[in-house]
Amino acid sequence: MDLSPVLTGFSVAFEPENLLFCLLGVTIGMLIGVLPGLGPAATIAILLPITYNLEPAAAVIMLAGIFYGAQYGGTITSVLLKLPGEASTVVTAIDGHALAKRGEAGSALGVAALASFIGGTASILLLSFIAPALAGVALAFGPAEYTVLALIGIFLVGTLGSGSLVKSAAAAAAGLLLATVGLDPLLGTPRFTFGTDQLADGIDFVIVAMGLFGIGEILYNLEHRDRPQSAVPAFGRAIPSRAQWLRSRLAILRGSAVGFVLGILPGGGATMSSLVAYAVEKRSAKDPSRFGKGAIEGVAGPESANNAAATSSFIPLLTLGIPANATMAVLFGALMLQGITPGPALMTEHPDVFWGVVNSMYLGNLLLLALSIPLIGVFVRMLKIRPGVLAPITIVITMLGVYSIRNNAFDMLLAVALGLVGYAMRKLGFEPGPFVLAFVLGSLLEGSFRRSMRIFGGDVTEFVQRPLSATLVGVLVLTVVVIPVLRAVRARQIDRATEPAES
Amino acid sequence: MAENETEDALPEPDAPAPGGRGLAAVAGAVPVVLGAAAAWLSLRLDIGTLTDPGPGLWPLIVSALLVATGIGILVSARRAGGTEAFTRGAISVAAAAVALFAYASLFEVVGFEIPTLLLLAAWLRFLGRESWLSTALLSVGVTAAAYALFILGLGVPLPHLIVL
Repeated sequence: MDLSPVLTGFSVAFEPENLLFCLLGVTIGMLIGVLPGLGPAATIAILLPITYNLEPAAAVIMLAGIFYGAQYGGTITSVLLKLPGEASTVVTAIDGHALAKRGEAGSALGVAALASFIGGTASILLLSFIAPALAGVALAFGPAEYTVLALIGIFLVGTLGSGSLVKSAAAAAAGLLLATVGLDPLLGTPRFTFGTDQLADGIDFVIVAMGLFGIGEILYNLEHRDRPQSAVPAFGRAIPSRAQWLRSRLAILRGSAVGFVLGILPGGGATMSSLVAYAVEKRSAKDPSRFGKGAIEGVAGPESANNAAATSSFIPLLTLGIPANATMAVLFGALMLQGITPGPALMTEHPDVFWGVVNSMYLGNLLLLALSIPLIGVFVRMLKIRPGVLAPITIVITMLGVYSIRNNAFDMLLAVALGLVGYAMRKLGFEPGPFVLAFVLGSLLEGSFRRSMRIFGGDVTEFVQRPLSATLVGVLVLTVVVIPVLRAVRARQIDRATEPAES
Repeated sequence: MAENETEDALPEPDAPAPGGRGLAAVAGAVPVVLGAAAAWLSLRLDIGTLTDPGPGLWPLIVSALLVATGIGILVSARRAGGTEAFTRGAISVAAAAVALFAYASLFEVVGFEIPTLLLLAAWLRFLGRESWLSTALLSVGVTAAAYALFILGLGVPLPHLIVL
């Protein structure tokens, strides 16, 4: 393995400007992690217009920092208030909050921070070795392979999410349909533009992400905004006691492994890996009845897993150009805005961006560890901000950001309409994730499908006659058949693992 | 410290009430209608052939998929709920959306200051139930901060009345 691009990456990550954006990103991530409501995908979407004027590496370093920083922040409210800031820290609340009630909040938070750091860092190391190998294989991909790959990505995100399978498929189909608005990519015929020039260029991805995730999430939270304010339990400094650390060492290792593997799978990601890691810990414990009553392993395992998964979910995006989850779909859009197409060529064409972003994650994790131990008290104070104040400020920033993309008020109307769509989708049980992902991959999928059809002379069976694409079709078929079965089994296991301990 | 709550399972902050069968049917009907309309529009474009696909072929395939999934949802609607009932809070959502549409429409006509101030004030007071004093202070303060950040700081050409 040629190490010089890796070293260049370190010098990129250590540039003062990039250090600053890394710090900014992880701090914002930690903040939104603490505040329930706005998730990382929505925050990154809202901040996209600001990244227009940044260098590509700086932009992605900051946005990535928001994503993994949120995993740290979400833990704090889970442990202290049993109010998970992020879905991926829901399971941490069970034992974390029990520990806090026993007066061991500081120690629990300390273990969580250390577990997050170890999980994240281990995952970056593995990523540095696996990503180049995977990208090397993917360089041989042609239009046929990309057609199947995009289908696998969309399908996996739909099936591994929490919603119903048909609904995810419907959301994905709607996203693909929305992606066809505008001029035909090959022939230039206007499609679904309804005669207006405003839609001739298609709908900007940033508007879709800001509308569906940003505005949609704010509108959705508006309906259920009466949240009781709970008192924050007192805690000393967030440093693990020696006994707690000794007990959680192995849990951290197991959690990191679970998180890394599940994070790579499209749709796996942080939330699922934290649930699985909790189940693993409970099963491997000598005395499972401690779980639910303040077992430190129930904090250490899931926390190392969700951070490892957050990091490894970058692998499919950076090597194959297929985003593994909703946040990665937004980052896909961020890279496209910078004129960089994520995919196997990224590592060779833009080694500074690839290795700069990857290596900045070591620094980001270090910064987070440094921030979270002394500053948890400051972040907890942010919880006093009322959602009724935060929402209108966020919405003004979002609207002005949407306007600034093309200096066009029509885009604002479009974003609000998409926000309403996002709200309605959530009410009707459709996940916005598959929709946005399909929208992002829509033009790639259509383009490679049409090109393949021309190459194959209209013969669809060619997809299974070429070795590479046939293998991928095999993977696709396997996921269509196997995943729903696994899903049912896992749902039962997680139910069993997270149900209260029998006394 | 009492240990009376340790028996809780997963915390579910304000789990919303599930929707009824009607809402589940709507969830299936929307994709069917949307897909059918898009399919009809795609047919009016040139479909071409599989060897030489026209602009309408791909949208037609996707629309068909949408209709098929919608039918799938309708079929499973009898047992699966998966929806959330609309509560009285939905009125706030509608009000907020109307306010945002008005905001976007006024924006290029009268500049960004007045609509921003009004949007913030209405949202803080009526949706956020802030006091009049904090409503006034926050809406003026945030508008000024947005002016400073977007126009003076980032140089975004927002239409504005006040020229500094």
